[in-house]
Amino acid sequence: MAPEAVLSHLNRADGSATYTHNGYCIIGAVNGPIEVLRRDEIPEEATVEVNVRPAVGVGSPKERHLETLLHNTLRSIILTRSIPRTLVQITLQVRSLPDEESSTGVSTSLTLLPHLLHTALLALLSALIPLSTTVTAVLIALHSTKDSKAPAQLVSPTANELLRAKPIRSVHVFAFSGEGKMLLNESDGAFSYEEWDEAAESAEEVCCKKDGGVGLGEGMEVDGREGQNLEDWLRNVVRTKVAYEQRWKSAK
Amino acid sequence: MPQEVQISVNERAFIQEALKEQIRLDGRAFDAFRPLELTFGDEYGVADVQLGKTRIIARISADVTTPLPERKFDGVFQIMTEFSPMASPAFEVGRPTNAEVILSRILEKAIRRSNALDTESLCIIAGLKCFALRADLHVIDHDGGLIDAACIAVMAALQHFRRPDVLVEGEKATVLSVRERDPIPLSILHQPLCVTFSYFEEGELFLVDANLAEEQVRDGEVIVTMNRHGEVCQIAKYGGATVEPYALFNCTNVALQKVKEISKVIQTKLDDDAKRRNAGGLLAELSAENDRPYDRPVG
Repeated sequence: MAPEAVLSHLNRADGSATYTHNGYCIIGAVNGPIEVLRRDEIPEEATVEVNVRPAVGVGSPKERHLETLLHNTLRSIILTRSIPRTLVQITLQVRSLPDEESSTGVSTSLTLLPHLLHTALLALLSALIPLSTTVTAVLIALHSTKDSKAPAQLVSPTANELLRAKPIRSVHVFAFSGEGKMLLNESDGAFSYEEWDEAAESAEEVCCKKDGGVGLGEGMEVDGREGQNLEDWLRNVVRTKVAYEQRWKSAK
Repeated sequence: MPQEVQISVNERAFIQEALKEQIRLDGRAFDAFRPLELTFGDEYGVADVQLGKTRIIARISADVTTPLPERKFDGVFQIMTEFSPMASPAFEVGRPTNAEVILSRILEKAIRRSNALDTESLCIIAGLKCFALRADLHVIDHDGGLIDAACIAVMAALQHFRRPDVLVEGEKATVLSVRERDPIPLSILHQPLCVTFSYFEEGELFLVDANLAEEQVRDGEVIVTMNRHGEVCQIAKYGGATVEPYALFNCTNVALQKVKEISKVIQTKLDDDAKRRNAGGLLAELSAENDRPYDRPVG
């Protein structure tokens, strides 16, 4: 299943997006560029602030960790130098998680990370913040199988698939820029370099391989549609948004 | 942190002049609520309330803990309100604004202290184990009327929530999963709802459910909490305007009518949701709950 996204649906925030995929639902809002506190002001760059808010309870070190990862990745794609001495405020509110989330036995911050990245990017696009490139991310899980020694790959698995594939040896999150450069890698578990390399390759294929790439899950072809990579999906979302905003032009 | 954008002098004068001529900017009557939308998710205990452009999500979750030593027979119930910059850039994480403090104080008085939720029913083994219920409020969009919307969201979510059943054998309690035993609804004693009255013109005229612009112009506010049986749970007044004591009687009358309307909306939505879940008509068979002869305990 391709992720679903609704853009610019909040009234108050400058840009917003709701993103739903595999049982994860995240609402993202971006305010910016706005006035920045004196102590956070950077003379030649914009300050980026990321807030991750869990569905239940108040933020814990897990959210702080996610915020740091998101901050570093998003900072590298936002053209901070073109809007100096301002603040770009990104708030990501987790609305719902899949039921099996807590029992999959893998790090919950890693399974959430790609979804947070996508939501943040969509909200930034909706707020028309200048960006140097786009970012797409995917989760790859490696689990051992009975018949072969090499671990099998699960690409962008649902929580249920992770639960059934137990024990998971390692999970990896990869994020790629629009030009196919790796922007982020987070891995958890035990793995060899070859395994990581293979995972990175298939992640790249899912994220941004030009035509002929393997789609995100084989479910896409069952629907009678072409296998589509995440970058195509992102382009589609933006195309729909632009078409909607330019409808005054095409109307007769 | 950036300041909340102050309303301009012209806008302020415009709203006040319009009100003098009995006109509200959005064309509503003085005692009319904005359109209320209430949706429930697939999970139990999540209510998404939209009151005009204001949007609040309430989420109830349950945990098992030890009860407080001075309240051995009671469960724990907490309402967490933390504003995020999503609602307004002026809200900073970890530094509560005035609005946030007032909201949590009012909800505390309206829902917790009025005993809307029977906390004794959350007790599993006296002094040893009880359910800890928490309601998390997420303000997604802010256009005034946060208190009213938050109260609706929490009450709707509480009525929608189902807690897991427990099996007690002597000192041992087992929490049964959803698959083993159908989860059971909370025991709600009454449904308090808040109605905020905003006073203008030195207390001469009042508005129900003011939006953000009207909130910024008003002289004072009176928050009345009552249930649909007409029992007043609390009245709070903030701001400098003087309000005639007799005006408060008027307020409670208007509030009663509004609370009845809102309760009806919540009840219809809950019934619709129950119907949607009970597609095969089998839920009654699964339920482990005893039949209650009456809805509401006397007194």
